[in-house]
Amino acid sequence: MNAEINKKQLIRPDWGSKTFAGVVLGLGLSLALCGLFAWAGPGGIAAAGKVQFVMWMIAPVWMLIFSLTYLISSGVRAMQYLLAANLLAYALLFFFREMAIPS
Amino acid sequence: MKIRSDVLRLYQSLHTWVGICAGLFLFIGFFAGAMTMFKQPLDRWSSAPTHTLRPLPVVKLDQLLKDVLSQQAAARKEFTLHLAPRENIAAPVTWNVSMEGREIDLSAKRWLASLDEHDRLQMREELPSLLTQLIDMLHRTGGIPGTLGDEYLGIYVMGIAGVLYFLALSSGLILLLPTLVKDFFALRLGKNRKRFWLDAHNIIGITSLPFHLLISVTVIVFAFHDVFYGSLSRVVYGDQSMFGKPPALAASVHDVSLVLPVSQLIQTIAHEAPDFEIQELLYMGLESERPILRAALYNPRYLVQGPQTAYLMLDPYTGKVVNDSMLPGKGNIWSALVTPLFSLHFGSYGGDLIRGVYFVFGISGAFLFYSGNLLWLEKRRKNLSRDQAVPEQSLSTKLMAAASVGVCLGAVAGVGLSLVAGKWLYAVVGNINKAYLLVYYSVFVLSIVWAFYRGAGRASVELLRLCAGIALMIPLTSLLVMLIPALGLWVNGRDATLSVDLFALFASGLFVYAARLTQTRVQNGARDSVWSA
Repeated sequence: MNAEINKKQLIRPDWGSKTFAGVVLGLGLSLALCGLFAWAGPGGIAAAGKVQFVMWMIAPVWMLIFSLTYLISSGVRAMQYLLAANLLAYALLFFFREMAIPS
Repeated sequence: MKIRSDVLRLYQSLHTWVGICAGLFLFIGFFAGAMTMFKQPLDRWSSAPTHTLRPLPVVKLDQLLKDVLSQQAAARKEFTLHLAPRENIAAPVTWNVSMEGREIDLSAKRWLASLDEHDRLQMREELPSLLTQLIDMLHRTGGIPGTLGDEYLGIYVMGIAGVLYFLALSSGLILLLPTLVKDFFALRLGKNRKRFWLDAHNIIGITSLPFHLLISVTVIVFAFHDVFYGSLSRVVYGDQSMFGKPPALAASVHDVSLVLPVSQLIQTIAHEAPDFEIQELLYMGLESERPILRAALYNPRYLVQGPQTAYLMLDPYTGKVVNDSMLPGKGNIWSALVTPLFSLHFGSYGGDLIRGVYFVFGISGAFLFYSGNLLWLEKRRKNLSRDQAVPEQSLSTKLMAAASVGVCLGAVAGVGLSLVAGKWLYAVVGNINKAYLLVYYSVFVLSIVWAFYRGAGRASVELLRLCAGIALMIPLTSLLVMLIPALGLWVNGRDATLSVDLFALFASGLFVYAARLTQTRVQNGARDSVWSA
């Protein structure tokens, strides 16, 4: 019984599904987070030269998410968490895009 | 720090596999990148002395520009005015005839122009040696031929290698955390060879971690920036303009005779960037709707965006600044945050000292991937048990060992022999740039074939000797050229050339030493090793 519980708590490798989640959903999440920073971060969307910085942030944020994806207990969980995070981030992003009045 | 064992096991597997997949690409990238730190000495060692055209004082440049622009339609599209007082500048004005896209054109001719003593226009056409550009290409593409869209395929491959490289770094860090304090400065030379390699791998990895993190992120961005900008444009920016309003188009086509005098442009630039040396002015599209003058500005005390210099864009007809975001201290907070990332990848700050430091970082990075592969092989080794026959090592370790030896030493030998061949073949072959490629790929491919044919153990000794021989050919070539002038070859500017010769001699000695150590191991080392032969 005890061994059973321990087994459940161990992290499953699930290389395929976690890698897929890290590459696709991780990149999507990073894009949304950087997009949120572009709209709601300092200077707003129209700040001069800001797009370069926003573009540069995509890779490190993505790689950080990608690296930590393997810590999630299973591949299915990883997909679920990242999908939920994507939905939330994109909902916020589109909310800000619609709310902001183009100047 | 304590980390659960299942987490460690997981990241151990991740570290191993991303390392094995990306290691060989990264080795070539790091080795060639380290070589690009010494672009100028290498260029001067290999390229034929250009019969330089007369340098001119600034007051004479306007007449030269007028003559060139009125006679040469190609120069009206784009030309460079060289202002830095350096001896290896071939002529005050140069331009290329064909310049399409981002690809290197191996047979693109270059035109040089100056004025003679009687202020008459003199011009010459030449085929410039592209050796250092080709080494830079090897650095950026890993030597993978082919294009995808309007970009080299190899750039995307290196971008993917950059992603794997980041995963290798983060997982390696996690693996090292529990024993970081204990293992940090330990280099245990005892009987256990694997321990020694692991310690060396860890020390180099952890001490240069910030450098490696920076390189991996910049590689990903350099490879995929078009993809990232495209997604930002679709998903995030939508109708918002990403790069601000473009400057207004000219009402009509400009008359090239109305370009501002060089002295006036220099004055404007010096006013905008007082503590920079103006190295060259690149005139682009003088007859187009958006003529641009790009000034390359050098000062090793600043972090700059270009591979060597900062840039300032002007309108060559009005002298107005068009874009100053690539000039340190100008621009805005966002460009100030981004510019250092370029500079920290290129090592374009701090002059020769930092170039030396980056060279060491580059070579130690190459060592990181090479030692990583060795550790992988050692881990998979089938041990000899007492009173048993020597076990056959598995096919995968044999192949991986051969590939590591062939690819790594083949790339080193290929670059070395291209350098030497450039000098010997210059007079013989029609297009020296094609000869460079032929020599590099022949040596590279043959080394890999040889490594698979002979097996990793024997091939490693033989290829190390090959590298030693090729490195020795560099100073020998210089010596021969100096002793036998009848060869008709050349030795350029003593100092820079001598540094290349001395370095090659030193490298040759290292290769001989490595070959000797390896041979001892191949012959007398444990027989249950993939290196035994």
